[in-house]
Amino acid sequence: MSLEMKVPAVGESITEVTVASWTKSDGDIVEMDEVICELESDKATFEVTAEAAGKLSIKAQEGDTLEIGAVLCEIDESASDGGGSTSESKPTAKSESSNSPTSEAKATGEVLEMKVPAVGESITEVTISNWAKGDGDFVELDEVIAEIESDKATFDLTAEAQGKLQIVAQEGDTLEIGALICKIEVMEGGAPSSGSSSTSESTGSSTSSNTDKETYATGHASPAAAKILDEKGISASDVKGTGKDGRITKEDAMSAQKSSSKNVSKSDDKPSKPQFEAPTFGGGVSREQRREKMSSLRKTVARRLVSVKNETAMLTTFNEVNMKPIMDLRKKYKEEFKEKHEVGLGFMSFFTKAVCVALQEWPAVNAQIDGSEMIFNEYCDISIAVSAPKGLVVPVIRNAESMNFVQIEKEVIRLATKARDNKLSIEEMEGGTFTLTNGGVFGSMMSTPIINAPQSAILGMHNIVERAVVENGEVVVRPMMYVALSYDHRIIDGRESVSFLVRVKQLLEDPTRLLLGV
Amino acid sequence: MDYQVVVIGSGPGGYVAAIRCAQLGLKTAIIEKYNTLGGTCLNVGCIPSKALLDSSEHFHNAEHTFKTHGIDINKPKVNLKQMIDRKADVVKQNVEGIDYLMNKNKIDVFHGMGSFLDKNTIQIDGKDKKKITAEKVIIATGSKPANLPFIKLDKDRVITSTEALELKEVPKHMIVIGGGVIGVELGSVYARLGTKVSVVEYLDSLIPTMDSTMGKELQKSLKGLGFEFYLGHKVTGVEKKGKNVTVKAETKKGEEVQIKGDYCLVSIGRRPYTDNLGLDKAGVKMDDRGRVEVDDHLRTNVENIYAIGDVVKGAMLAHKAEEEGVFVAESIVGQKPHINYNLIPGVVYTWPEVASVGFTEEQLKAQGRKYKTGKFPYKALGRARASMDTEGLVKILADKETDEVLGVHIIGARAADMIAAGVTAMEYRASAEDIARMSHAHPTYMEAFKEAALVATENRPIHM
Repeated sequence: MSLEMKVPAVGESITEVTVASWTKSDGDIVEMDEVICELESDKATFEVTAEAAGKLSIKAQEGDTLEIGAVLCEIDESASDGGGSTSESKPTAKSESSNSPTSEAKATGEVLEMKVPAVGESITEVTISNWAKGDGDFVELDEVIAEIESDKATFDLTAEAQGKLQIVAQEGDTLEIGALICKIEVMEGGAPSSGSSSTSESTGSSTSSNTDKETYATGHASPAAAKILDEKGISASDVKGTGKDGRITKEDAMSAQKSSSKNVSKSDDKPSKPQFEAPTFGGGVSREQRREKMSSLRKTVARRLVSVKNETAMLTTFNEVNMKPIMDLRKKYKEEFKEKHEVGLGFMSFFTKAVCVALQEWPAVNAQIDGSEMIFNEYCDISIAVSAPKGLVVPVIRNAESMNFVQIEKEVIRLATKARDNKLSIEEMEGGTFTLTNGGVFGSMMSTPIINAPQSAILGMHNIVERAVVENGEVVVRPMMYVALSYDHRIIDGRESVSFLVRVKQLLEDPTRLLLGV
Repeated sequence: MDYQVVVIGSGPGGYVAAIRCAQLGLKTAIIEKYNTLGGTCLNVGCIPSKALLDSSEHFHNAEHTFKTHGIDINKPKVNLKQMIDRKADVVKQNVEGIDYLMNKNKIDVFHGMGSFLDKNTIQIDGKDKKKITAEKVIIATGSKPANLPFIKLDKDRVITSTEALELKEVPKHMIVIGGGVIGVELGSVYARLGTKVSVVEYLDSLIPTMDSTMGKELQKSLKGLGFEFYLGHKVTGVEKKGKNVTVKAETKKGEEVQIKGDYCLVSIGRRPYTDNLGLDKAGVKMDDRGRVEVDDHLRTNVENIYAIGDVVKGAMLAHKAEEEGVFVAESIVGQKPHINYNLIPGVVYTWPEVASVGFTEEQLKAQGRKYKTGKFPYKALGRARASMDTEGLVKILADKETDEVLGVHIIGARAADMIAAGVTAMEYRASAEDIARMSHAHPTYMEAFKEAALVATENRPIHM
């Protein structure tokens, strides 16, 4: 039996450490509590002591930077005193397991700890939405055991080994990346087989042998479940039964989904439940308040927006765009475009194209700060802010600079639809270089958007209103839109930001320029 | 179209189909040729026979067991008219219940003979006279008592089950042709009231479709009630002279037997009823046994016409028809319901009752399947002794390897209610040990079910 040693949580704000030095070498026999290595965080250095006696197997090398919870080394306990503990550890480990403590036992004695995986660049914590498996259930390798919610998406947690599940974190718990979610008592071979019931009974050793084993009835759908699965077009063999011996219950069938992409979550439309109702004061008029727990997404949005405000030198420059040329163009080609490409010609494609051209001319706007360096992006990955049921999400149109109008419109539709269904994957929301946000759809005349960090600028679109403007010395009525560019003055100079916005205005007011590249 | 669904026949198949259709939001009508809804089951089948079975069982107890229980009464007398009247009242309440349900579910009811003019149009002829059209039609016309070609049913002395529920006197000697469910049930009614009952059955056992243990046990029990059996006898003729009926039968060796009585009940089974239904006009095909031919989804060869219950293949049971009614209604709206025909229980309301679900031992043998048997007698049950109902047993058949329950067969008090546990267990594919590990309340007859499961598991009953 070997024990995995993880980087311990060493301080509140410390998320990663560096391995300064190993005081023991790979293969050494170490004693419990003996110092085996020294770790360095940005605040202090500290020593790591062996959590068990045994043979050391080093996993992280000196100089490696590790997240909290990452595996540092393994200690093979069986090696500590000549294998004597091997035979001992097995029976003790499995008093509640359904397997008999012989050398053929399926339980290996190993207990695998499952940690919150690193699910995306900026995600530091997740919430357990629900357990698909119960405590003590037998789980297969790669079987979905829980649904986890981050601020960006929900995703399925799959078992890293097969065996018996021991749940550590409960539903609703918020965990940091690397925190312990559950343990799996690893079992070898297939799930306990059907034949085992009669044999174990005849030897008189069966106690609770009816639970958690795979039998002839595993995967058998109850009458109601069978109907539901049939109507969903899902085969019973694709559903994990949570009933006795893996029978498929009605609940299993109701929550069963056609498996498509693993990472993408089931849409979880459940609003968070009110924690309590505030008491009513006075009569007649309502004085009630309602408290709801902030969702993980809302919390992150809140935290990040504040940190952007605090940590950047953000300001906003404005301009106005005469939308008439684009509107005329749209009016003229709307039908044809739709017919030919099966997608509507919207404003998004014009703005995206114009922004891409301007970004390439003013690369600072498309850049970002990374510590003491600046990263200039040769590509334009345009994030578009979409209002999703759970809150604001910002999927990314990749390499928008190389896309044509049709491709952009299609991509916008695809991402917006996924956003509305809560089906965006984390990858689809990561790594944008510039953001477009359209408050105009809700009627906003003017706003100062907040940068989508670590990006450096964001363009706010607004509503289109007919205003009196002066053209060639005459007052005329034009459909006008105010545009606002919020930018991080640390990296973008006023000249660049203003010129960028003027360029965008120019391209939008004369879209032919987009065609000619002038 | 006037309706989305029209159901022809208002028996347990038809009215249940109509209610389910209405629940699913379909505009539904139902056609019944008789004045009352409910079909055979409610009017001349399950319900009235159960009423008489219960009355006669009370009489039987008053006559035979009260004394032992410590209840001394004068010798009880049968008031057959009152029994029949009570039965009629029970029927009346039940069929009125169906009227209420139709009304509640806003189902239009037409009384009259329904027959197809084409696949979407039905002519109603009777109290109501009109033509209605429907997108979908469900045939639920049920069945009628069958007869042998050489028997003349005068419905006075040579009768079917329908007349047996309306007799004016207690027969002295009733000869029952056919030892199936109907024969033994109605035979029981009159045997308890003092009639000598002789059963002539062509096959070698009673209730031949059930597990053979059931037939044997039932035969023992009915013998105690005064039944006489002529098994393996082929009826060759029935003669009626005045108040006397003579049934001639032949043994397998060819010997002729004559049985003389005053009533002859012909209960050889039932035939699907499609008379005057106009199936030909709709183009609906029938099979060689006069049943409406349906596929696995109970669709006829005409795509908008379905058929359910006794008029199609399968056991002629009210609850089978009900399941099919629901099945078709849900199929019509695009749902995908299931029926597990192997798990439709069969019940005989004799006393002791007989009930069974799943495979019989004979079927398992024929399949070559390896099985184990667990039997537990009522005699060993405290509850059975307390209630003086010690006849009977529970028999559970389980797969030899997996322990999965493959069949449950019960003869004994309340078997008909107990079988539901067998159905539940088998729908979930429980093993015998699963049942054995579930708590069963004490003192109940159901303990026999658990004990039989213990026997099947590894022959370790507690109370035997």
